[in-house]
Amino acid sequence: MFESFKYNDYYVVKIKGREATLKNAEKFKEYVTSIIKEGDHFLVISFEGVKYIDSTFMGALVSLLKYALFVKGDIAVANLNKDIYNLFCLVRMEKVIMIYDKLPDSFTGSFGRYSE
Amino acid sequence: MPHTSKILLVDDDRLILKVIAGALSRKGFECYKADSVAEALKILKQAVPDMILSDYSMPKMDGFEFRKLVLMDKRWKNIPFVFFTSFGGQELMQQGLNMQAIDYIDKNTPMHLVVSKVSNILNTIRKQHEQSISELGATARALNLRTVPSEAPHIKGFKLDFLYETFEAYPGGDFIDFIDTDNGHTFIILGDVMGKKWGAWFFSFNYLSYIRSAIRLCVLEGDFSTASIVNKINRVIYKDQVLNNVLSTLSLLVIDHETGEIHYTGAGDVPLILYRSAENECSQIKSSGVLLGVASDGQFSEEVIRMEPDDQLIVVTDGMIDFYGEYGTRTSYPLFVKTITPLLGKHNTFELIKAETFSEVKMTEVVDDRSLLFIQKLH
Repeated sequence: MFESFKYNDYYVVKIKGREATLKNAEKFKEYVTSIIKEGDHFLVISFEGVKYIDSTFMGALVSLLKYALFVKGDIAVANLNKDIYNLFCLVRMEKVIMIYDKLPDSFTGSFGRYSE
Repeated sequence: MPHTSKILLVDDDRLILKVIAGALSRKGFECYKADSVAEALKILKQAVPDMILSDYSMPKMDGFEFRKLVLMDKRWKNIPFVFFTSFGGQELMQQGLNMQAIDYIDKNTPMHLVVSKVSNILNTIRKQHEQSISELGATARALNLRTVPSEAPHIKGFKLDFLYETFEAYPGGDFIDFIDTDNGHTFIILGDVMGKKWGAWFFSFNYLSYIRSAIRLCVLEGDFSTASIVNKINRVIYKDQVLNNVLSTLSLLVIDHETGEIHYTGAGDVPLILYRSAENECSQIKSSGVLLGVASDGQFSEEVIRMEPDDQLIVVTDGMIDFYGEYGTRTSYPLFVKTITPLLGKHNTFELIKAETFSEVKMTEVVDDRSLLFIQKLH
């Protein structure tokens, strides 16, 4: 369902399959949470091959982002297809989470998006 | 999305697997085939089927041991489990049924009867499930736990209406409400808690309670600014221990009855569609705010829309822009706009939208609960 590997200065989590939905959102949360708990606080979630994301999965993603920021880390997304990229922009997710076209050479760090 | 029942078939005899899978597939079932328990467990880790049909007698690990493993895992223990066997011994049957297998099927049964039996079992389960949902829904209604009103209020000079449809009969995360104030304002609330079915519904009720209270308190203090109200709601939710990991969109509008102006603030919501009658043109109105509960500063803007006679405004949740089609599920706001645009500016636009987007044919393409608000300024 997911695979992960270390890539330069961050961790990559790849979603396998064509849909990121209610059906795999909970497992995704468990999977990414365990990676963060093991000490890898900077992650890029790769949506390569994913054609559709529903609001449950998006909610899981934002919830994980909040957790990563809480432990002074960050989460970004990469390899979004056109529909998913448009959806992220439509609901202003680009203000919340960093979006890369493809896996970056290095994690550029938080935008400082949050004013506490 | 039309639901295709998925069945996990487990038998060490590959020919039997092929024959049963062929017969079931021809009747529209999707079959996962496993020739060992180890293979079945691998499949279960990837996908949860609607039913497991398993042989008793298999080398290494048999069907009973498989059943025990399934019962021990909370993800799988409620999947209807049927034994499929050529051993007709009463003791074995009893052993299987004692392990909460819901039935057994004799391998000597003609294949068309096997298919009928599988269909009947799944239909019975589905009906029981629907009845449970219906009873829960009735209880929620009896307790007045509504997240969608029965009808829209009447506002002089405006036509106001809405459409709402649950997904697969479950209440979901969408919530709608209208709040009339004493001094000629009507607040309109449309939101969508991220998630599906009962979990989302439960939190949508909490969200709606928060929002209703916030609006009432702000109005009492003379604050009618949608941006200010959404900002206050967001700050409370951001700090709330229960809701701060449950995210929601919100479109908050207020109609000033006197001036006909509409003020709008959005939080992670889908842009509004505005039809201008004088120009016979459509445009989209975007707000800048992010989802509720994500950040302490949600960057909420307030848009002012001066409605002229016959202008129309459409507000939707994201379920309206998800489609299931030939190439699977996708999200497309432009496709939704394209569908809606030819219907705008008519004397019966709302009814046309209802017929087009909430028709029975369209229901087969639905993947989430869906809501649409319609506002038109009258002459």
